[in-house]
Amino acid sequence: MGVTCVSQMPVAEGKSVQQTVELLTRKLEMLGAEKQGTFCVDCETYHTAASTLGSQGQAGKLMYVMHNSEYPLSCFALFENGPCLVADTNFDVLMVKLKGFFQSAKASKIETRGTRYQYCDFLVKVGTVTMGPSARGISVEVEYGPCVVASDCWSLLLEFLQSFLGSHTPGAPAVFGSRHDAVYSPADTMVQYMELFNKIRKQQQVIETRKPNQ
Amino acid sequence: MSGVRAVRISIESACEKQVQEVGLDGTETYLQPLSMSQNLARLAQRIDFSQGSGSEEEEAAGAEGDAQDWAGAGSSADQDDEEGLVKFQPSLWPWDSVRNNLRSALTEMCVLYDVLSIVRDKKFMTLDPVSQDALPPKQNPQTLQLISKKKSLAGAAQILLKGAERLTKSVTENQENKLQRDFNSELLRLRQHWKLRKVGDKILGDLSYRSAGSLFPHHGTFEVIKNTDIDLDKKIPEDYCPLDVQIPSDLEGSAYIRVSIQKQAPDIGDLGTVNLFKRPLPKSKPGSPHWQTKLEAAQNVLLCKEIFAQLSREAVQIKSQIPHIVVKNQIISQPFPSLQLSISLCHSSNDKKSPKSTTEKQSPEDHLYVLEHNLHLLIREFHKQTLSSIMMPHPASAPFGHKRMRLSGPQAFDKNEINSIQSSEGLLEKIIKQAKHIFLRSRTAATIDSLASRIEDPQIQAHWSNINDVYESSVKVLITSQGYEQICKSIQLQLNIGVEQIRVVHRDGRVITLSHEGQELQDFLLSQMSQHQVHAVQQLAKVMGWQVLSFSNHVGLGPVESIGNASAITVASPNGDYAISVRNGPESGSKIMVQFPRNQCKDLPKSDVLQDSKWNHLRGPFKEVQWNKMEGRNFVYKMELLMSALSPCLL
Repeated sequence: MGVTCVSQMPVAEGKSVQQTVELLTRKLEMLGAEKQGTFCVDCETYHTAASTLGSQGQAGKLMYVMHNSEYPLSCFALFENGPCLVADTNFDVLMVKLKGFFQSAKASKIETRGTRYQYCDFLVKVGTVTMGPSARGISVEVEYGPCVVASDCWSLLLEFLQSFLGSHTPGAPAVFGSRHDAVYSPADTMVQYMELFNKIRKQQQVIETRKPNQ
Repeated sequence: MSGVRAVRISIESACEKQVQEVGLDGTETYLQPLSMSQNLARLAQRIDFSQGSGSEEEEAAGAEGDAQDWAGAGSSADQDDEEGLVKFQPSLWPWDSVRNNLRSALTEMCVLYDVLSIVRDKKFMTLDPVSQDALPPKQNPQTLQLISKKKSLAGAAQILLKGAERLTKSVTENQENKLQRDFNSELLRLRQHWKLRKVGDKILGDLSYRSAGSLFPHHGTFEVIKNTDIDLDKKIPEDYCPLDVQIPSDLEGSAYIRVSIQKQAPDIGDLGTVNLFKRPLPKSKPGSPHWQTKLEAAQNVLLCKEIFAQLSREAVQIKSQIPHIVVKNQIISQPFPSLQLSISLCHSSNDKKSPKSTTEKQSPEDHLYVLEHNLHLLIREFHKQTLSSIMMPHPASAPFGHKRMRLSGPQAFDKNEINSIQSSEGLLEKIIKQAKHIFLRSRTAATIDSLASRIEDPQIQAHWSNINDVYESSVKVLITSQGYEQICKSIQLQLNIGVEQIRVVHRDGRVITLSHEGQELQDFLLSQMSQHQVHAVQQLAKVMGWQVLSFSNHVGLGPVESIGNASAITVASPNGDYAISVRNGPESGSKIMVQFPRNQCKDLPKSDVLQDSKWNHLRGPFKEVQWNKMEGRNFVYKMELLMSALSPCLL
């Protein structure tokens, strides 16, 4: 478990998502990374049920239940700004039992699938973010294995990202800022993914609202 | 009684009235007799009202009669008072009993008198003495005692015999009970060894290893049935047992896992045709009943099936460089390139129709019992692991599995960490590793032994360590010369035989790793033996006082050896006159040259360079020694002789 940075790669001009992914992977292979299989990160959204809100009148909180193929036996559950729970896969069964309290939002399943590359100590995952049948974006995740403290290796990560992302290199993720001297944990990766998915969802909504205008 | 004069008996009471007191002058004062009412009262008191009314009448009548005067009653007490007597109620008359007694006495006397009188006449009755048995003649007192003793002894003997009979009867009954074990006691014995349960009206048992941790899906149930095919008329046979067990049909017979290593490459036509030889059944304990042997054999068959199923599952799933072949009841794998390991399940049923398992391609000696035993041990270990506390979940609702695996979810383990927890080695891999090690070890031993028998000089000794591992053994190899063990002991090798390699640690600190090829070890040992000779010369020189001029383990001169390198040494005699140069190679053998001083060589070219004659004392040319013609039983001995021959004795 090392420090991970998740970022979004914008789709190149005039090209489709797939072609951009192909460009990236070719760059990585030229760099010398070796393909090591595939990965998948998915996310489902749940509302807190209206019955539990009662007289408080709060807006229902959104809960995200995520899985990561890197941690095949674990299940992550997180609130937006709240805690992240790491559990084993029986948690999914538990969610079925908690149907009364958490209702799944419609058409909420979003996932990213792609290939996994190993380049010495770096683990690079380039995936296509899909919501339903359509691809919505590209996610890039880079993990530097040996280090567990974010602040120590952020510059190295940045340099590596620059080498193949070029100008699309992201800034430091928010999770780094909050606890950059603490040990990095898989839950932080999932928080980054959640933020990425939310961003993509918002982009999608913006596009959809724009479309009728055009 | 007729015609006999009546006897008058007169009875009168002593006095009418009772005397109350006698005065001083002799006058008597009489008690007043009871008046009628007083008498009545007295008598009434004596009435028992609980009795019947008849007695009451009698009493009442008797009370009236008693009211009369005594005297009147007494005077009429005559012989012909029988009628008068009848008038009175006899029960209350006070003289009644006396009268009766007297009367009976009279009767008796009369009878006696009559009898005697008749007997006196001897006409109608005579007195005859009672006939007695003639007394036996007076016996000897001893005979009498003998007879009496005999009788008493006979009586005692009878009692003892009766007692003995009773005892023997009870003993035989006990024995009969033991032999004639009944169903319930036998069932109790069965229960002490096997788990039984009652289902409906059937008694089923469990002979699988499920309770010991096995996960094999075979049910392993046997049925207990009552043995009723006994003819009560005939004698009960010796091995009769009222209980019989019925084992599942696929567990009948006996089975074992045959593990063997062969050198030839597998012939495709041979696959799956492992000829089973019927291993003689392991002798059961002498006292164990037949159901015990039957059940144990069935359990063994089940265990062998489980072992083979596990092995074949792993053989198919696990990827290895050379894939394993699974054919019918045989698994073939190649631990080393020219080696074939075959594991087969040999299950022979009890029916007699196949006794002809004589044509065998593999001889029984091929079978490695050690590996079969280890397979049994490994599967039992696997069973125990499933029951161990690492596997048993706490709390009880948690899923089964290794303790750390349960934590892998909440702690987000990635694939590397998960792989490290899961035991990566299966049964097949373990047994293949063990087979490899056994093969390497046996081949190492064979190599050393063949060298030892083939080469006499130097000698090779092997000291095998007693304590070995399934994957590692070690042996210490010493190369010595006979007679010079204390001097020439510089070649000592410690061989650690592993699974695929042999690691050699030399005495001088070098560590060499040899592969599984047999030739490597042999070549290495040969080269060490050749080096030993040269080392021996070095040690000998020290002892003999010779000076070592040069010494090299691996000379670069001379013909190239195919095995190892040649070594060489040059030693000079104590006074410097002679020098011996030895070159020994594993293939080329030994070459010994002696350097003589110049003045001993005749055919030296004269030259102007040497002006002084003192230079003639220096050593000059070399001459080769015909080593095979040298005296001595081994190299070092010969060398010692040579050295002593070249050192002049100082006399």
